[in-house]
Amino acid sequence: MKIIAMDVMSTGVIAYYVLIASRDGFLTPIVSNAENAAYADPVPQAVILTAIVIGFSIQALMLVSVMKLARDNPTLESSEIEKNNTP
Amino acid sequence: MNTLTIVWITFPFLVGFLIYLLPKLDRFLALGVTLVSIAYALWQLVEPSSLTLSLLDSFGVTLTIDALSGYFILTNALVTAAVLLYCWHSNKTAYFYTQAIILHGSVNAVFVCADFISLYVALEVIGIAAFLLISYPRTDRSIWVALRYLFISNTAMLFYLVGAVLVYQANHSFAFTGLLNAPTEAIALIFLGLLTKGGVFVSGLWLPMTHSESESPVSALLSGVVVKTGVFPLVRCALLMEELVPVVQLFGVGAALLGVTFGAFEKDTKRTLALSTVSQMGWILVAPAVGGLYALAHGLVKATAFLIAGNLPSRRFTELHQKPMPTMLWIVLVMASLSISGFPLFAGFGAKMLTLAQLDSWQEIAMNVAAIGTAVLYAKFIFLPHERQADSSKLQPNFWMALFLLVGALIVANVWFVETYTVRNIIKAIGIIGAGWLVHHLLAKRSGFRLPRPLEQFEHLIGGMSLVLILLFWMVVWV
Repeated sequence: MKIIAMDVMSTGVIAYYVLIASRDGFLTPIVSNAENAAYADPVPQAVILTAIVIGFSIQALMLVSVMKLARDNPTLESSEIEKNNTP
Repeated sequence: MNTLTIVWITFPFLVGFLIYLLPKLDRFLALGVTLVSIAYALWQLVEPSSLTLSLLDSFGVTLTIDALSGYFILTNALVTAAVLLYCWHSNKTAYFYTQAIILHGSVNAVFVCADFISLYVALEVIGIAAFLLISYPRTDRSIWVALRYLFISNTAMLFYLVGAVLVYQANHSFAFTGLLNAPTEAIALIFLGLLTKGGVFVSGLWLPMTHSESESPVSALLSGVVVKTGVFPLVRCALLMEELVPVVQLFGVGAALLGVTFGAFEKDTKRTLALSTVSQMGWILVAPAVGGLYALAHGLVKATAFLIAGNLPSRRFTELHQKPMPTMLWIVLVMASLSISGFPLFAGFGAKMLTLAQLDSWQEIAMNVAAIGTAVLYAKFIFLPHERQADSSKLQPNFWMALFLLVGALIVANVWFVETYTVRNIIKAIGIIGAGWLVHHLLAKRSGFRLPRPLEQFEHLIGGMSLVLILLFWMVVWV
């Protein structure tokens, strides 16, 4: 559940980057014949692409380890898992 | 010079994947990488040159290498080399060495980058590599600890990302220098991410459990270098922008006192060491100008201490008082403890004195208290029993080589501190240690008191993060 919550949070961050990129305009920033078009800022989009990939891979890693943990804690309550694993 | 630097940065990543292709050569390749890094860092320190590499166009994606990064890189290289030597005869697979070297490479990348986006990428790679190293034993507990670490660091990095885009919006550049023009929220968000990653103050309370429950070579890596990746950008920002220094220093003092208070009541060796890391991160932050030297002194000691703690007969102090350890091991442990308490002849002394010399009066009082606290912490290790006949046969020569490398570096590092050897400083250092030992004998040894640790619970850690964020915001407004 918490992992899904984190994913929602990262989606929010991505959406925020896209919002900032589109503040100057909505056109795709590709060289074309249109003159002085209000195009979107390509830099935040390029940057957030990296963050999306990283976020995705972290998500995958976390889910794998949760699957491993689920064998002994089928209910997946984080407080229970924590109690069993704290010295 | 430029080409050399770029080759050096990419080298660990190439070799990391090469190890997987040539698993027979894993240890040799890994050790080779660290030797290259040591050579590069030493060269950087002998011929201090400030080098800046910018990516094309004006988005501020830059790498900066100077003496400050030199010290951090040297720490990283020495600690990784010692850990690799330590693991030489253990049955670790090529997978472990691959992760260790990728971790080494990404930590190096943090120490040279000067903009928020390359920093973000490097920190995330560190997070993943550290996760894989912590969960290497694949027991339930190690997986839980690793999951907790990854979750917290990733949440912190999400806050950081929002801060980074605000900086970009204000400057159209990601460079560190743009932080001043950015809105207050941006500074608060970015600092929160870095403070959490660096294990500083309340947001760093995830650290004791993570560092104490990992295997000892991994703890040595995490405590010796990985937490410094959060601290380094803070030091760099504080050096670039005078206005941010008070905020950073306040957190430094807070962390230094918090770490020793918790540590003094701790009954477990590895947890004590981990809490001492929290306090030492405060020491690095409090005087950004000499933070590099302090980081070097601390990284070497902490790696030594964790590697030894993994070989003690028990983890609990009460049991250690009954089971003596081999004398040779004890001597090395005492050398490390003396260095971090600031005893002359070791690098810790010079680093501590240089740091104290940089401070204002009220900070100096607080940091002297923290120094006494550190001496109390390490008195626990120094006054453990030892005997010559104890069984030391399972300690292999490569273990001693690793310790020799670290302790040797501690003594050699004195060349940077020659000017601190004045009579006044030496008396002061011995006075601090004496006071610490006195407190240890009078109080700490007898108390059976145990500090509760509700703050270290998973949900409280995340909640604590948002509280620190609000605190940071008002601090930045106030400054």
